[in-house]
Amino acid sequence: MNATINHGTSKKSGLGIFWRFFSSVKLTIALLVILAAVSVIGTLIPQREGAIDFAMGMNPRLFQVFMSLNLFDIYHSLLFRIILGFLVMNLVVCSIDRFPVTWKLFSYIPSPDKSRIFQDIPTEQTCILSGNSKHILNRIEEFLHKRYGKVFSKKGDKYSSFFVQTGRFSRFGVYIVHFSILLILAGGLVGSLFGFEGYVNIVESDKTDKIHVRGSRQQKNLGFEIRCDRFTVSYYKSGMPKEYKSEITFIVNGKDVKKGTLLVNHPLHFRGITFYQASYGTIPGKKIILRAVMNGKSFSFPVSLQKSVPLPGNGGELLLEDIRDNLVGIGPAVLISILPRHGEKISMWIFKNPALAKSRLPEPMLKSPKFNPSAFRPYTFFLEGVDTVYYTGLQVSKDPGVPIVWAGCVILVTGLFITFFMSHRRIWIRAENHKSGVRVRVAGMANRDPVGLRRHLLKLTDDLRKHVL
Amino acid sequence: MTSSTILSYVTFIYFTGFTLYLLMMVMGKKSFGTAATFVSLAGLVAHSAAIVLRWMESYQLGIGHAPLSNLYESLIFFSWTVTLFYLVVEWRTKNRVLGAFVMPISSLALAYASFSPSVNSRIQPLVPALKSNWLIAHVITCFFSYAAFALSFALSIIYLIKLKNQGAGRAGSFLNRIPDSRVLDELNYQIVIIGFLMLTLGIITGSVWAHSAWGTYWGWDPKETWSLITWLIYASVIHARIARGWEGKRIAVLCIVGFACVIFTYFGVNYLAGLHSYAKS
Repeated sequence: MNATINHGTSKKSGLGIFWRFFSSVKLTIALLVILAAVSVIGTLIPQREGAIDFAMGMNPRLFQVFMSLNLFDIYHSLLFRIILGFLVMNLVVCSIDRFPVTWKLFSYIPSPDKSRIFQDIPTEQTCILSGNSKHILNRIEEFLHKRYGKVFSKKGDKYSSFFVQTGRFSRFGVYIVHFSILLILAGGLVGSLFGFEGYVNIVESDKTDKIHVRGSRQQKNLGFEIRCDRFTVSYYKSGMPKEYKSEITFIVNGKDVKKGTLLVNHPLHFRGITFYQASYGTIPGKKIILRAVMNGKSFSFPVSLQKSVPLPGNGGELLLEDIRDNLVGIGPAVLISILPRHGEKISMWIFKNPALAKSRLPEPMLKSPKFNPSAFRPYTFFLEGVDTVYYTGLQVSKDPGVPIVWAGCVILVTGLFITFFMSHRRIWIRAENHKSGVRVRVAGMANRDPVGLRRHLLKLTDDLRKHVL
Repeated sequence: MTSSTILSYVTFIYFTGFTLYLLMMVMGKKSFGTAATFVSLAGLVAHSAAIVLRWMESYQLGIGHAPLSNLYESLIFFSWTVTLFYLVVEWRTKNRVLGAFVMPISSLALAYASFSPSVNSRIQPLVPALKSNWLIAHVITCFFSYAAFALSFALSIIYLIKLKNQGAGRAGSFLNRIPDSRVLDELNYQIVIIGFLMLTLGIITGSVWAHSAWGTYWGWDPKETWSLITWLIYASVIHARIARGWEGKRIAVLCIVGFACVIFTYFGVNYLAGLHSYAKS
């Protein structure tokens, strides 16, 4: 494009070379293709959390190479950021480089009196209006003013010329699109600099003020507490979850400040942080049902964690010390301690599935009283059941870049519409005396969409015929 | 009659349409072309009715949702958008040559949906994450862009066929009925623009949906990434054309590459995700 001359060839200085390099559309195309290619790599190599298993089976040397290039987190790697940086530079330089030309095209008003443009125009773009020529000329100008705004005219004895234009703002469509891309990238940058992404699991009726930050081992203090008052899940007949929701309370300095219901697709916002219903699950609760068999008699009774109950048959006290969801791969187990009326405290693990424990545990362990459910005579203990409670899995994130990204998206779509579907149409009209009236000819030029221009000119001719009388 | 039965018939109606378009090209008889248009239009009407019927069926099952939620329904919708888009272009350009290249795509998509054992045609309830109006906007915009790119693919193939046989210039061959290469090129570009705009809207609505469902508007998951790759390829097509003045063969080849990306975004990614889950277990 012409404007390159101003900067590019004037000097062979460093700036000149820099400018020429970054103002090239070849570079744009190359960068778009490179960005696409690098993105492909990222979909072939497992990324982030998914990469752990993949990396374990790798040749250590290859692994070193992958790590140094950050191929397991390619979209956050230096390489990727450099490509994006080049693209931004390319965009900015191209825009500055081409802006003067666009501005000229936008603001330049050609002479209303042009002859060549009326050569070879189709007859449909001509009409004859009969009547007083002066009156007709005034009416034409009025009509054009009403439809197009400013009318440029040049009146002569033999003929009069008019120039009008429409959609000249569309020349800036491309700049709007490119600006929106910068805005979206800026939004992403703001999010990665000032935002975080984390998750937290909260058991029903429990509360917390700490969350896990994704991609690091750190915990983050929110500065307020979240309590899950209630969690409910409903299922379809097929057993697929239909809906799950958490009733959440936000607590500041011990006071309930805000309550809300959290559903999938319906996040809650509090103090600039957004909470999403992401998952749910069950964990063992704090209550179990224990069965004690003693001299052929069986007793079932509930015990709560860290609480003690009197043993049936008055043999002493039983304390529930620990509940495990899955102990050494054998499933649920609980640690109980017996405080007999006389003698020492005895602790033992009771498995939910004693048969499996017997087959899995090594011989010496089975002999130890610690794994023998009959270690305290004459009792034998069985774990009947562990109460499970729901926990709700929340995605917690703060991203101050989001509004910037959405603004960028709206501007992007607007810009694309302007660029692709609007055009700068320049229209010349010549009115010359003709027998008992005026012969009007209409011609035009557009920066794109010649078919649309032709339709426009035909309609204009038609409207002139109808309205200018 | 259930919607699935109607759709399996529509597969054959579209195939008939394709055959008639082909006959029109080879034999050079206009009557075949008119018949082809009518058959395809009839297929589209039945197809639309089947989609509405499926929607109603889902309400009768008590799990009412728009039929845009799984692979089967997406293939049905893809085929519908391709046929609709094609018939609109045929009507606007008054040219039927494209039909012989587009109708097989519609017919194949339906055949895959109706007859592949791996595609489940049952109406399934929605998992909570899919209950969003953004999903509907997302699927509709994405599939209109896919349809546009399918048309662009067909146009590019025609362009290359025409280019390859230009020297031969056999009189009376169907090549003479293909519009001028400039016309093909311009039409292709117009369609790519519509596809690009729709894809942009599709990616944006998808981001808004992901943001409300998972708390992040962009997560670099393979499907997201591949839609971005497709977007980048078509963005470079548009840049090459507007700013570098590329035309003809090079644009046609790029559009074919672009459509390969579309297909990979649509089907290939599932295979990738499969690889990942395989690697995990």
